[in-house]
Amino acid sequence: MKAILIVHNIASDLVTSVWTPIFVGLFIAIVIYALWPRNQAVFDQASRMPLRED
Amino acid sequence: MQQTQSTKWMTHGEAGLMLFFAMAAFVCAFAAAKALDAPFAFHASLAAVASGVASFAIMNRYLDRPASLPPEEISGKPNYNLGPIKCASFMAMFWGIAGFAVGLLIASQLAWPLLNLDLPWTSFGRLRPLHTSAVIFAFGGNVLIATSFYVVQRTCRTRLVGDLAPWFVVLGYNFFMVIAGTGYLLGVTQSKEYAEPEWYADLWLTIVWVVYLVVFVMTLVKRKEPHIFVANWFYLAFIVTIAVLHLGNNPALPVSLLGSKSYIAWAGVQDAMFQWWYGHNAVGFFLTAGFLAIMYYFIPKRAERPVYSYRLSIIHFWSLIFLYIWAGPHHLHYTALPDWTQTLGMTFSVMLWMPSWGGMINGLMTLSGAWDKLRTDPVLRMLVVSVAFYGMSTFEGPMMSIKVVNSLSHYTDWTIGHVHSGALGWVGFVSFGALYCLVPWLWGRKELYSLKLVNWHFWISTIGIVLYISAMWVSGILQGLMWRAYTSLGFLEYSFIETVEAMHPFYVIRAAGGALFLIGALIMAYNLWMTVRASEADVGTELALQAAE
Repeated sequence: MKAILIVHNIASDLVTSVWTPIFVGLFIAIVIYALWPRNQAVFDQASRMPLRED
Repeated sequence: MQQTQSTKWMTHGEAGLMLFFAMAAFVCAFAAAKALDAPFAFHASLAAVASGVASFAIMNRYLDRPASLPPEEISGKPNYNLGPIKCASFMAMFWGIAGFAVGLLIASQLAWPLLNLDLPWTSFGRLRPLHTSAVIFAFGGNVLIATSFYVVQRTCRTRLVGDLAPWFVVLGYNFFMVIAGTGYLLGVTQSKEYAEPEWYADLWLTIVWVVYLVVFVMTLVKRKEPHIFVANWFYLAFIVTIAVLHLGNNPALPVSLLGSKSYIAWAGVQDAMFQWWYGHNAVGFFLTAGFLAIMYYFIPKRAERPVYSYRLSIIHFWSLIFLYIWAGPHHLHYTALPDWTQTLGMTFSVMLWMPSWGGMINGLMTLSGAWDKLRTDPVLRMLVVSVAFYGMSTFEGPMMSIKVVNSLSHYTDWTIGHVHSGALGWVGFVSFGALYCLVPWLWGRKELYSLKLVNWHFWISTIGIVLYISAMWVSGILQGLMWRAYTSLGFLEYSFIETVEAMHPFYVIRAAGGALFLIGALIMAYNLWMTVRASEADVGTELALQAAE
């Protein structure tokens, strides 16, 4: 039981102290990537991918 | 005599898989003989026969095939592997009709309990998981396997990885469905909603799913296109997350390796939380992410318009992935689950409004400049209406996850209505639309046998859905209000049986709605069958004409 509690505490500390900011940072980075003006050309091409025929 | 052909050898995959199935046949036959309970003996026998057949089929296929495997490209164009996709499309239609028919039967059982027939195998309790698994995992799963194998090849401009592996995924997955479905009828169940199959079926699914993941990822790896199209991201999230959910929710210890019964590792509220973390993400990643992939490929393709906003699709994907995984606790409001966890689940569910509606807008706006096609193309109409239903049910879902709303809606038919507006309207229609596109493409035909029949299918099914969900809304809210009604003296105003009685008319309407939905699917099956068959006849006459000339 004690071991389980220790694991639980470490896990919850990890979640709150490390993973939350990492995930938030990661998400913000993704949003910046998606909105970055220079990527527009690539995305315009990608949006037509289903329409291309071999 | 000069030898012109290179020597024919079995590939490692063929030899290995043939050996594996040959051994599996013996092991399963042994397990069947020593089985502790009858359903396990039946399943082991089924597995023994299937393994034997698989082993022979691999040998036969080897003997029939030319010395070299199919080429990656034919005259500069990718040589797409369509066989397994055709098979999965066919199985999707088969399971769809089976699943809808069982749904109609159990809806009728609720209205007229006599239809339970007083037999264990035909009772509601055993047929209900057969219905849910047949429509979600068998119908939906085959649609997802078919479309994912198609889309990943087309958008990567490369042939699917593996020779036998894609067949192993399709046939192995369908064999899992047979084991799961027959198990429910025989009373084999883990009693976990949407995760009812017992330990041996779960182990088999794990193997199949890992092969699915490997085939999909390795095809992405050898792509000819630098960019990975957004639909593939959704498919990948679906495959990876379902693997994680399956492993998380099913760690069970069998009572014996020769019996069907097992005990789950989790207990109490942890078990409940694992179950609904699994259950809600089965909705989020099986019924949402996978089918959004279909939306992002098939709607642009059919409408001949690019994806409305590719930027939005990226943000849509990542916000959905980041948020969905936390929404499960809303299934456990007002239970022994800690209050903060319930609130967490509710908060993330409410936040899900944004990506859901972002995605819906992206799907609908893809029609900009092509709205007129809705009038003339019933397949596109089906796809677009599915997205509208997606928007509606993803508005309703977060609302129902709010605790005060949930206190009224939970355990009532409102939940069933909500699920079916998503399942019939969104998943059903987007799958139908995809299959209507896919079948002519796969069999190399210009169009479907009859667009008129698609139109009939569309309207009959739409009326069916409206009947279904409106009946369940009224019934659910009525039920919830009756349960919480007090008299002036503080007693419950209605006994439980009075609330059951009040449901009867709505159960009849619901069954009628289900019947219409099934009729629509039968029309579809006929239409698809005629598309495949009529095309064969066309090809035949063309060849005959050429020969005559």
